[in-house]
Amino acid sequence: MAKEELLSDVTGTVWKIEMAVGDRVEDGDVVMILESMKMEIPVEATGAGVIAELPVAAGESVEEGDVLCVIES
Amino acid sequence: MSLEERMAELRAREERAYAMGGEEKLSRRRAAGILNARERIDHFIDPDSFIESGLLGVSGMVEADRERTPGDGKLVGFAKVDGRPVAVASNDFTVKGASSSLTNMKKIGHVKRVATERGLPLIFFGESSGARMPDNMGSRGMGTLLGNDPTQYVRRRETPWASAVLGQCYGSSAWYTCLSDFTVMRKGAVLAVASAGLASAAIGQKVEAEDLGGWKLHSEVTGLIDHVAETDEEALDLIRKFLSYLPSHHKETPPRAPVPTGSDEGAARIPEILPESRRRVYDVRKIIKAMVDKDSFFELKPRFGRTAVTGLARLNGGVVGIVANNPMSKAGAMDVPGCEKITRFLVMCDSFNIPIVMLVDTPGFVIGVEGERMKAPGKIMNFMTALQMCTVPKLSVIMRKSYGQAYLNMGGGRNSDEVIAWPTAEVSFMDPAYSVQIVTWGRDVPEQEQEQLRQQMELDNSVWGLAEMYAVQSVIPPEQTRQYLINMLDVHTMRTTGGIGKHQLSSWPTTF
Repeated sequence: MAKEELLSDVTGTVWKIEMAVGDRVEDGDVVMILESMKMEIPVEATGAGVIAELPVAAGESVEEGDVLCVIES
Repeated sequence: MSLEERMAELRAREERAYAMGGEEKLSRRRAAGILNARERIDHFIDPDSFIESGLLGVSGMVEADRERTPGDGKLVGFAKVDGRPVAVASNDFTVKGASSSLTNMKKIGHVKRVATERGLPLIFFGESSGARMPDNMGSRGMGTLLGNDPTQYVRRRETPWASAVLGQCYGSSAWYTCLSDFTVMRKGAVLAVASAGLASAAIGQKVEAEDLGGWKLHSEVTGLIDHVAETDEEALDLIRKFLSYLPSHHKETPPRAPVPTGSDEGAARIPEILPESRRRVYDVRKIIKAMVDKDSFFELKPRFGRTAVTGLARLNGGVVGIVANNPMSKAGAMDVPGCEKITRFLVMCDSFNIPIVMLVDTPGFVIGVEGERMKAPGKIMNFMTALQMCTVPKLSVIMRKSYGQAYLNMGGGRNSDEVIAWPTAEVSFMDPAYSVQIVTWGRDVPEQEQEQLRQQMELDNSVWGLAEMYAVQSVIPPEQTRQYLINMLDVHTMRTTGGIGKHQLSSWPTTF
């Protein structure tokens, strides 16, 4: 089983989480939406799999490079 | 000796050269699915077009190596790609790790000189271990072999250079890659100053070769690599594709191509791609692809500096360089890698007479500690200097946001030859959300009043002020942009010089 980490591209805030641990995702599915520079920035799955971890919560601040989601394929 | 005997000797020497580093080494490569130096040339060029130079060269330094160094480990010559002449240098790793020594450096020097003087693109297939031992050892070795060519590592961009990193690349293979206009790396290959083994021996750093200089590092962190390929063949095909957009030399215009049918149909889709809400992001590559000639967009450095998109494309058959902000990454706010990527791309386009089209949607430059530590203000000025020194036609399209200094960097005002805007454009010094905070700083301003201020600022930022002040020359619907750009590229053709720019950036460093 391969694990793929989705890292934050920006410093900002988690605005909305669209998926839950255990959900199945396909490449390009929006896992969550960050807010940075007053823009809504979707975080997309980079491959198909199952969400294993969601270490952030809505409203939380994130730094560039923080792990937002772990997907197992 | 009779002519017949001499001919037999020639054939014998040729056979030894074609045997390269021997069947054992060659078969190991075949088993691993890796092409050898000759197969790489054959795959890359038009069939049977190779004119080899220096087939019979061997080591000129160590007597015992004469029989063990067919071609002296670097194959060079001239060939055709899509019918156009090119110069090629292909490292033969099966011969002493394609290490550099007297004869092979003369071979490389020759094709480089010919390419530069006669106007041919120069292509390197990199896979070499560095300076040959013991040839370069000691002060006598160094004094004999190194430093004899004062132009060896000068890049004046007289002709396009492209490099494929197809194995271990240390020494000259790494240097020539860094000096090239286009670079591609096969997964598993390594580009570094020195090997992981030497790093371990010299500084005690235990590191895997791929972590030291693999495809992920160079395509995502350093940006030294434009494209990543799964196989040698794919890497070589990418170089052919790159060359199809470039002139053979700096005093020629880029090759035109027929316009594929259906190229005018994409532009109608642009309003669907651009989100209604100014807070929503989108992938600008979809807009580029909808606007340019069908299937003509060739992105460069897609994994690096992703706040910006750079790539070659065609509009009505003519080559253009596209520079675009990508709201998909950091809302399109340009960061240091994004600035470096754009600067490097502007330098290349200007050097090879490729007009530039800038597609603008940026809230500004990325602010914060990380960027400042990476010299963001200096990088922004590098970018600005490069833009202002470009003499090829520059056209800017303000699609949505253009704020602060980034307005100038993306061609605002007279930093482009023509600036056009969509009705969705908004321009100011700062996004209204932040301007409200600044102008009400330290005062207790009710929420409702702040909201009114914000709404007024949004209105003030609309495109009409720019149009009234003639800071944009036209406001046009998105779907008319393709045709407008085609018409304007025609207007701005550099007629007085036959389409050739001044190349004021031709000696700009390749990494900075």
